[in-house]
Amino acid sequence: MMRSVFGKCVIYLLLAAGAVFFLVPFVWMLITSLKGPEQAYQLTLGLKPTELRWQNYRDAWAALPFTRFLFNTLFITVTATVGQVFSATLVAYGFARFRFPGRRVLFVVLLSTMMIPSVVTLVPTFLLWRWVGLIDTFDPLVLGSWFGGNAFFIFLARQFFMGIPVELEEAARLEGASAVRVYWHIMLPLAKPLMLAMVLIAFVAQWNDFLGPLVFLNDFDKYTMTLGLRFFEGSFMGEAPKWHWMMAMTTLMALPVLLIFFVAQRRFVEGVSLTGMKG
Amino acid sequence: MHRNLELYGAPLARFIVVGVVIALCCWGVYRLLRRFRVGDEAASGYALITPWLLGLLIFAAYPILFSLVLSFTRYSVLQPPEFVGLENYRRIFTADPNFRVAMKVTFAFAALSVPLGMIASLLTAMLLNTNVRLVGVWRTIYYMPSVLPAVSTALLWRWLLVPRGGLVNKVLGGLGLPEPGWFNDPQWVIPAFVLMSLQGAAGNNMVIFLAALKGVPAQLHEAAHIDGAGWWARFRHVTIPQISPVILYHLIMGIIGSMQVFTQPMFIRTPGRSGLFYSVHIYRTGWEYLQMGYACALAWVLLIVILILTCLVLRGSRSLVYYEAAK
Repeated sequence: MMRSVFGKCVIYLLLAAGAVFFLVPFVWMLITSLKGPEQAYQLTLGLKPTELRWQNYRDAWAALPFTRFLFNTLFITVTATVGQVFSATLVAYGFARFRFPGRRVLFVVLLSTMMIPSVVTLVPTFLLWRWVGLIDTFDPLVLGSWFGGNAFFIFLARQFFMGIPVELEEAARLEGASAVRVYWHIMLPLAKPLMLAMVLIAFVAQWNDFLGPLVFLNDFDKYTMTLGLRFFEGSFMGEAPKWHWMMAMTTLMALPVLLIFFVAQRRFVEGVSLTGMKG
Repeated sequence: MHRNLELYGAPLARFIVVGVVIALCCWGVYRLLRRFRVGDEAASGYALITPWLLGLLIFAAYPILFSLVLSFTRYSVLQPPEFVGLENYRRIFTADPNFRVAMKVTFAFAALSVPLGMIASLLTAMLLNTNVRLVGVWRTIYYMPSVLPAVSTALLWRWLLVPRGGLVNKVLGGLGLPEPGWFNDPQWVIPAFVLMSLQGAAGNNMVIFLAALKGVPAQLHEAAHIDGAGWWARFRHVTIPQISPVILYHLIMGIIGSMQVFTQPMFIRTPGRSGLFYSVHIYRTGWEYLQMGYACALAWVLLIVILILTCLVLRGSRSLVYYEAAK
């Protein structure tokens, strides 16, 4: 009994120590977002209660058409995430469960596509989209993820599918169910916890993407939130940096994602139907 | 209203058309292969990976081959490329002092951040996998840093790690520990970047490790417990083998990701060449000095280095990773 109480204490202590380390940047961001412009550059954490400038949030939102930016970001994020999760799991299922000539080689090719530094493929990719006439549209930011999405996800999902025993689908396959039916009715339900993690990761990546929108979008009306943030950094429009506004907008951008995470993380705990399947 | 339709309706229609076309391609590949008397299993396999194969041709093969061709040229973007043979590669290995610096910086960063990041995120996931109270709150706290855009985290860490008066050094000084110069001291630049990376990486990796830990059958732990296995023995002989595919995933992704770190070093100024990461070197060569051909050659060298590392890891792990389905 003593032992387990002691163990609990150690766990809580470790958790709390880690939490402090993880919370510091966030707290710093919150505090800076409430500072006046002249204090935003100070290094001290100190903040008198009288100085809470909540209007930073309203001012920052109104300084640029952030409502439009929000809708643009949401549109890109949702469509790209959907495409990524479904196409990546489909392809991963093919790699994990079907033997065909050249599978190993293709899988090594898949892995090696992740090793291409994106700085270099950017120019040829840009030229390609310009040739199709789709520069300054959302397409270059979304359509890439509909083609197997993301090699990271394919690899991850393949690892996951390979950990699932084959008996279930074998029965279905013997009864003549097509690969797509097995994927949809057996593999996807099993992969729910994994897909949830993938949705989260894809969502955050798209939501915070900076380089893609910077390169492919020109029209101010199509800008995303991160492109808006950049205007507060100080190196644009020859104005003084507005770090308090930047931190206010970063806070606003982080909140929905954290909320989604907070709600979704329960699914990891409860909905893992996988556990019962093994053994 | 009209503007909304124009902004979102038109692309959405295009996305749906593309989705249907991809599905038709899959179906077509299956029918075609079956017609040529390919077995059902192989035909299904090819059909399932068709979306990726298409993407490979359009978004990977073409840009990569294009950059390979460019790596044998002198190309300033303003003028058409001029063929120079192996000159760019000769220059990398004999006449570019920055190449060696960039490799050293990148390798030092990878060697520190990959194992530390892995241990940190696995430890975090395991702590969060216990029956602690308010587990959702804890998980969310640990996930927080990874939802912030890189522009903002770079700015925040620049503040936190200011040598004189920065919060981190104030705490260290208060504890009587030495106060490093972090981003101002060439010796401490890499550890500073590693410290930064630990926070960002921990979030996403923690989520995946958590999903993997949840997949470890409880019966195995119970059986080991009944057999008298202690905490460490169960971790070592049940948890680790069960999640070994995911560990391999993290190892490879960690190596690939850390060799390509780009955004943070772009936003943080460091003394001399102490923060010259390989991707930054490529970017400067290509976009600032407009030596696109040479930048492509640099990228190809990086690509081959990463490829060799990955092959070594995959080969070395073959006997160490446990796949349920392979039994």
